[in-house]
Amino acid sequence: MLFNEIYSLYYKTVAKAIDSAIKGQLNDKTLRQIIRENAFCESELTIVPAIKEEKWQIITADGTTPIKNTPSVPLTNLEKSWLKAISLDKRIALFGTDFGLGDDVQPLFNQEDIKYFDQYTDGDEYDNPEYQHHFKTILKAINDNHHPLQIYMCNPKGCTVRMNVIPKHLEYSHKDDKFRLITSGCAYGAVINLGRIQSCEYYYGRQLNRMSDLETENKCFCMELVDKRNALERVMMHFAHFEKRAEKLGEDRYRITVWYDNEDEGEIIIRILSFGPMVKVTEPADLVERIKQRLKKQMRYL
Amino acid sequence: MAYTELIKNFERVREYMRQFYLYGFKSREEYSVKSARSYDDDRRRIETWLGEYMGFKSGANGKNVFISIDSRTVKSNPLFKAWKTCSFTDKDITLHFILLDILKNHPCGITTRDICDVMESDYLRCFEAPLSFDESTIRKKLKEHENLGIAAGRKDGKTVVYTLCNDDTNVDADALAFFSESAPCGVIGSFIADKKPANNDNFAFKHHYITQTMDSEILVRLLCAIREKRNIIFTNHSLRTENTVSIKSVPLKIFISTQNGRQYVMVYHYDFGRIMSYRLDYITDVELLEECEDFDRYRNMLCRMEKHMWGVNATRHEEQLYHVEFTVSFAENESFIYKRLLREKRCGNVELLGKGLCRFSADVYNEQELVPWIRTFMGRIVKISFTDKGLEESFKEDIRKMHEMYCEEGGDDNAV
Repeated sequence: MLFNEIYSLYYKTVAKAIDSAIKGQLNDKTLRQIIRENAFCESELTIVPAIKEEKWQIITADGTTPIKNTPSVPLTNLEKSWLKAISLDKRIALFGTDFGLGDDVQPLFNQEDIKYFDQYTDGDEYDNPEYQHHFKTILKAINDNHHPLQIYMCNPKGCTVRMNVIPKHLEYSHKDDKFRLITSGCAYGAVINLGRIQSCEYYYGRQLNRMSDLETENKCFCMELVDKRNALERVMMHFAHFEKRAEKLGEDRYRITVWYDNEDEGEIIIRILSFGPMVKVTEPADLVERIKQRLKKQMRYL
Repeated sequence: MAYTELIKNFERVREYMRQFYLYGFKSREEYSVKSARSYDDDRRRIETWLGEYMGFKSGANGKNVFISIDSRTVKSNPLFKAWKTCSFTDKDITLHFILLDILKNHPCGITTRDICDVMESDYLRCFEAPLSFDESTIRKKLKEHENLGIAAGRKDGKTVVYTLCNDDTNVDADALAFFSESAPCGVIGSFIADKKPANNDNFAFKHHYITQTMDSEILVRLLCAIREKRNIIFTNHSLRTENTVSIKSVPLKIFISTQNGRQYVMVYHYDFGRIMSYRLDYITDVELLEECEDFDRYRNMLCRMEKHMWGVNATRHEEQLYHVEFTVSFAENESFIYKRLLREKRCGNVELLGKGLCRFSADVYNEQELVPWIRTFMGRIVKISFTDKGLEESFKEDIRKMHEMYCEEGGDDNAV
């Protein structure tokens, strides 16, 4: 169903090679370049001999082809049904498209077939026309070679602030169900919650410095655990989206190192606390101290 | 058999990739594999697919392989590549491209007999040792294309005439990039992006559990069964207990955690006569069976139960509920704690009791499921009560254990 050669990178690569052959541009060098750009790092070892030895009879050994049209495969039923399902997602309104699929295409799933049971409930208002306008303006500016934007937004203290920024990209969090705009060129901050934006227009004033990105500060913490009650799997899955290393220290004892963005430290602490005594943070000292303070405070209530 | 980059069966690689990504500390000897050679071949394949994301380190137990990816920094899920490695024969690829071309040149349609002739005269003749294809092989490949939705066959008298399917979909490059990463079965979006461009650079993703893609085939089958309201038999292999069982049931809904990436299917289990949840990464096969006449009834039952489900645990007795309640304190400048409770309360209730105090309460089927979340309010919980007093005591005992671990001398050995 999903695992089918029609979706393979080899087919995609060969289609590009055929296109090049139709244009009379295929030679050893271009073939190897197409393979490097589209397939895997050892694919040359298979694709080049298959063509040179004429095992795949679509390109001849001298780089010509009997194929007349640039290969293009129509969307499969599976692809159409996935797009149909996407067209029913409330966030599709942000993109102003419905993919032009007919009523005869059945969606792979309906929104009520899937539940994100622990997603936060204060997500962005995707059906708000103002929000949609801000989103589309930002996306257009990003596509428009990162055209500067003037944004008025409500800061966490409830005050309106103006920012002139260069939009880099949008960041989405499934857990928060929110979009954030990652920017450069503004002294106040590099990240803007789209839900806080009051207005957003193209900015034509003085040139902004594209190099003034705020560098994110990466930190790491180490924790140790004993693999009881499936602790190892739970922890590794929970922190799976971070860069991390795991080491086996003994029979069922492990040390796990996780790299994270310093701005997320508050979130990291509560995520560690959720595991209770299953894990123990050993480094860095300031993180251990913050956990200790929480525990001491809690012990006073018990 | 000689080593190749491509594979026939995804299941074994699915398990290795999961192990390399999630754990990454096992040596070759610790994997339960058929042979060292098959492990080496699969490891080499995964390395060629994922290159820069693979790492190796030497430990006391030998060489360990791991996949380490900060999913916030990648614009497109690198694990999608694993789905693009299906092997094929020389005849498969030859036939695929020639058929596409012939169908494109015959918009009004062409029969298999004529395809056979055109192939020989216009295509295979260019090669020194032409492959030979009989009509039944061509018909079989056309049938495959028809099932995929690429080609369409229609009766014209006694013969079947084939055409290429129309593709007038208008795929927005930004929408494609966004949903390929954020929607279920996003790898299908990635297949589309191999044909039509996607603006991957415009989006990044936080809290992004990319390993979910390894279960996409299972998810597609389950979603098809839900759409068609069909019973299934699925094979469940618990990595924890090593037990493998076949279960007949009807799938009702997919539950996905945005906080740990686990995906579950909620099913009505015929043998147990109740709604149960199963993790997708433990399911190795799904077979679709006949239509289930009671699908709507079971799904309504699940909808009713969701009002008392914190996570994925349903119950046999809908009336058996457990009460959980806790009060947290916060300072004047910490109203975010109250807001946190409001946005994270799920099926619970939150009341503001007065200045700096608020109470969460819920009636649920399974109190244990709330414990990890309640712990995140550590340092602020002034009062807590569970219906199950044993659980309440164990919650408090865990806090004492943590205090001992972190705040008392010699606490290092107390982690459990």
